[in-house]
Amino acid sequence: MTETSDRLLRGYQAQEKRFVERRFPLHFEPESPAIRELYSQSKGFRWNPTEDIAWARLDPAAYDAPVREAARLVWSRRAWGVYPGLGEGTSLLLRFCLESGSAGMDAKLFLSFRPAEEAKHLEACYLFAERLGGYHANPGHEAIARASNHPFAQMALDPDVPLEGFVAALGCLDDQLDLNLCLSHLQQSRHEIARQALRLIAGDKQRHVIFAWTLLADRLPRLAPERRPAVAAAVRDMLERVILAGYRNTWLLPPGAREGLLAAEALTAQHGLGASTVEQEKAVVRATLAQVRERLATWDIALPYVTHPELGRA
Amino acid sequence: MTTPYLTETRYPLELTPAMPDVWELWQRAKTLEWDPQTDIPWAELQPERYTEEQILAARLHWSRRTWGEYGAISESPALLLRFCLENRHPDLRFFFTMRTQEEGRHAEASWLMAERLGGYFPQPQNPPTVSAVGTHGVRRMAFDPDTSLEGIFASLVCAAEEILIDAFKATVHKATNPAVRRLMELILRDEVRHIAFGWQCLDAWAPWFTPETVLNIERAVTTMIQNVEFGGYRNLWLAIEGGSATPLEIDADRVACEAGLGGTTPEDEMQIVPQFVRKIRARMIPWGVKLPMFSHPKLGQI
Repeated sequence: MTETSDRLLRGYQAQEKRFVERRFPLHFEPESPAIRELYSQSKGFRWNPTEDIAWARLDPAAYDAPVREAARLVWSRRAWGVYPGLGEGTSLLLRFCLESGSAGMDAKLFLSFRPAEEAKHLEACYLFAERLGGYHANPGHEAIARASNHPFAQMALDPDVPLEGFVAALGCLDDQLDLNLCLSHLQQSRHEIARQALRLIAGDKQRHVIFAWTLLADRLPRLAPERRPAVAAAVRDMLERVILAGYRNTWLLPPGAREGLLAAEALTAQHGLGASTVEQEKAVVRATLAQVRERLATWDIALPYVTHPELGRA
Repeated sequence: MTTPYLTETRYPLELTPAMPDVWELWQRAKTLEWDPQTDIPWAELQPERYTEEQILAARLHWSRRTWGEYGAISESPALLLRFCLENRHPDLRFFFTMRTQEEGRHAEASWLMAERLGGYFPQPQNPPTVSAVGTHGVRRMAFDPDTSLEGIFASLVCAAEEILIDAFKATVHKATNPAVRRLMELILRDEVRHIAFGWQCLDAWAPWFTPETVLNIERAVTTMIQNVEFGGYRNLWLAIEGGSATPLEIDADRVACEAGLGGTTPEDEMQIVPQFVRKIRARMIPWGVKLPMFSHPKLGQI
């Protein structure tokens, strides 16, 4: 154990101790039919990256070395973006359990499945990169590493952050953007294996996003007025300090860090191997922000407009 | 983010399998998924064939099982966070996501069984039993840097889960009800992987155990047996301080078992628990771990 992991664990330990878990009565009956249905769908729509994607049809020899290199970098970067989901989903599950045994079983059951779904996405990205020459374990630039590494799992267990704030920021904004980008990559992909992988991943992500919106719709109206500003703050923080810093989009990374990845994404998009162009991604980000802003407004949660040199006003 | 949180050291993010046996468990788990709603022959449950006493006992038994399985979604997933923070091998992280999913299924399946037998009980009849059935303390241990991962594995997997499965293995043939038997078989199939995971990891790490690690394992396993297993976490008949549970609850496992609806009898427990203790004691000796003798009012010295 390193000094960092020791300190991190102590951080979790301190957070966990701030909750008083009341496990009983432990209710299992559905209270949110929509979320229980999402859980049922998770069980029904299970898939396996090693068996349900026809990897043999992804022939690396069909592409020139620069294209292979580009695509393996893009799918490695995708893996770095998927990986946090393992911890975040788990942490959110623990948060639900710590808050109450008597409520939220639909969400708990749903979340008991989510980390494994994220792990399958991670494996699919890893296998794609491996097939094209090898997965990259390191982003290769400090700025990329920093932009893709946030302590969201800790945030989920922070009793000072309303659960609704976490779900709004991570689920309704970030997951929604992630889904929309995934769908864009799917639309732009021509290789059947890239399409297979992205379609399967998008199917799961769709459920994750619906979960977030459904949960928010259920809980936000009951949230104490004094806690609502924290929800808006969490969403705004996610947008301004995480998404606009390049968490999901390479072109939002600082100059000097992004060029290699940008070139790789352009080449991958050009060959239909699972990426979108910068312009296509910009359209997705703008549309997503408009969509999320509109939906949050129904609960009087304001997502302010932002201005960014790469994005303009959105 | 404008937060006081610490950021983990995530990179290099290794995803290449490093423990082939554990990786194989992850692969197996993906091919053996099941759905409690559709993969149990519920139509063959036919609760009307049983007496009121048998049905009540079975409802109590499966409700208790539900509470126990819930512990595996409310506590042990904390271990996955620890694997991530400590940058443990990717195999562990991949497999453990599936384990959490499987435990969720077990909880749902056990709840469904209680429901379809006539109704799930959301809590013990007598509040004092809450502490016995409430928690095995794994979440606290997982977040405690002073408790070694090896100790948690040994206590959670090689003790708590192992005895659970030993009881299932020893009694699954007594479950004459087809729905109950199928459910037990499916849970057993998953749990066998969970246990294999724990033993495989500890066997692989054993050559690097320090005297402190060994002591940690001894302490954690002893606590799990004395305080949790003998506290009635799995079976109330074993609870040394059994006075807090109602006679109905204590007897529920026996009545349900004799009706073929799951559970164990005291006679089963008299065999299963001593055999289990002897087995893990012998199994841990090569690691340098020496488990003490345990004293139990009903089981004697084991």
